[in-house]
Amino acid sequence: MQAAAGNEGSPRKVYPVKYVVFLFVLLVFLTMPAWAPRYTVFIFLLFFLYLAVSEMWNLLAGYSGLVSLGQQVFVGLGGYTVAVLSVYYGINIWISVVLGGLMAVAIALIISIPLFRMKGAYFAIATLIVGESCKIFFGNWQYVRQGQGIMITASYHMSTTLEYYIALVIGAGSVALMYLILRSGFGLGLMAIRDNDVSAETLGVEIFRFKLSCFLISAFVTGIAGGMFYIYQVYIQPASAFAIDWIVVMLFVVIIGGIGTIEGPVIGSIIYVLLQQYLSQYNGLDLLILGAVAIVVILVAPAGIWGTLQEKYGFEILTARRR
Amino acid sequence: MAHITLQILLSGIMLGTLYAIIAIGLSAVFGIMGIINLAHGDLMIGASYISFVTLGLMGGNAFISLVIVVPVLALIGFALQHFLLNRVMNKKGAEPVLLTTFGLSVIIENGLLLVFSPNTQTLARSLALRGIPLGPSFSIPLIYVIDFFVGLAVIVGFAVFLKKTYLGLAIRAASDDETAATLQGVNCRLVYSYTMGVSMITAAIAGVLVGTTFTFFPYTGTDYLTLAFGVIVIGGLGNLAGTLAAGIILGLAQLTGSYLLGTGNQLLAAYLVLLIVLAIKPQGIFSRA
Repeated sequence: MQAAAGNEGSPRKVYPVKYVVFLFVLLVFLTMPAWAPRYTVFIFLLFFLYLAVSEMWNLLAGYSGLVSLGQQVFVGLGGYTVAVLSVYYGINIWISVVLGGLMAVAIALIISIPLFRMKGAYFAIATLIVGESCKIFFGNWQYVRQGQGIMITASYHMSTTLEYYIALVIGAGSVALMYLILRSGFGLGLMAIRDNDVSAETLGVEIFRFKLSCFLISAFVTGIAGGMFYIYQVYIQPASAFAIDWIVVMLFVVIIGGIGTIEGPVIGSIIYVLLQQYLSQYNGLDLLILGAVAIVVILVAPAGIWGTLQEKYGFEILTARRR
Repeated sequence: MAHITLQILLSGIMLGTLYAIIAIGLSAVFGIMGIINLAHGDLMIGASYISFVTLGLMGGNAFISLVIVVPVLALIGFALQHFLLNRVMNKKGAEPVLLTTFGLSVIIENGLLLVFSPNTQTLARSLALRGIPLGPSFSIPLIYVIDFFVGLAVIVGFAVFLKKTYLGLAIRAASDDETAATLQGVNCRLVYSYTMGVSMITAAIAGVLVGTTFTFFPYTGTDYLTLAFGVIVIGGLGNLAGTLAAGIILGLAQLTGSYLLGTGNQLLAAYLVLLIVLAIKPQGIFSRA
């Protein structure tokens, strides 16, 4: 059992401490709508959604070595599926969210055929182009009312508390998913691929299948988070759904928090949401500061806040290491 | 029908040459230093804005502003590489550099948004509207012709620079083998900084041309970045003739797409061609690899 810093001599006594803290935090989140002001609940709703998409980006970039600059495609697809299904066909909104995730997976499967032929930088560029193409396509598509967007009528009267809890499930679920994936044999294979893919392949790790699985998993979760996000927003339009701003968020959350760590995006997401709220009145300044901070972090602490903590003090809560 | 085809053909070639200039700076940096400068498009639009400011302060036409814009951008490029990117290149992996340039792109875009409004701007209206009549029913915008000749000049000039000058030789040596070049007395990091400076010179010229040919606003950089990538990918790295050919292909694809699918979807046509090429031969149609 990994001993927390300072308690080497008595591993058995240490066992409860970090899990108690963990449980306490979980309880705080679970009961938040009961005691926190509505504004705080809003903030944490966003936090959980950003956390989910960032953990997925982290799965791709930090653990599979796939830097994707096009994740917003899945966000948009999830959101639009919810909008189209619930508004045009009257399908129950929660089913639409799940279907949104599945639609994202389907599209991911299709585009993976050309995309996975490319490596590294070319892959990143290709995902960027797919993202931009989607934005243009949806902006000109009559079926989804082009640039005007769609109002998601089913969420007009939805309570914030309900939205918060769903977001909590999605966000906490994504963290749990990461934890389970990385502790499994699949995760071991992923980290082997990241470190040296040729060696991994000679040891029997099927690179293509592993990368594809990660891609599909990330598409699903991102699609669901996207669907939920636009339920909260009530209004979806291509310029926002397929905006490169989503990648900016994921990138900075993961870099500032710590790439390749599970806890990193948690910290990064909190920082981002707080920064975004605090600077919301200065249009564009929040992204600018975030960009500057990210560059500084890359120079000074390339492993991010959590990554540096992990390296320097051996401090881990959700370790991906196997015991 | 023939008229339209001819018009698309000529416009496509000229537009494509513009795209080639935009791409050449990006290609040089990618081929020589292995850096994908995601901020290239934004730096180019930054040049357009600097030209805009210069025109506002001094009057005159867009090409005169080049006198100011080119040195400013060359300096910015040099400083960027020397103080920031060279340091980031030391970190392991390709991600830190990619993400740094992405961060730069975000900073530049939002910075431009803050300083200038989100409204579209343009640099020289009279030039863009004047056309050269080439037949009974159509004419080529004069600015396209200017784009074409300036583009050719830049590309040829760049090729000559790489072949004949000492700095060009040093750049090629550093890109071939950093250690061997260092042993021959080439300060590779300094050479990289100069390369970025040269790349920014092409970006400056491209920026002024783009600003005169089309309208622009703070986020235009991304569109041109994507197109520039397209050119590089199709044309192959470090292949100047290929870059020119690829630019023309994309220009033709875009204009054909505009004619067939409507102007809203014109970029989509170019992107589709690009994705197809990426899927079939990622090193580029014209690459020697």
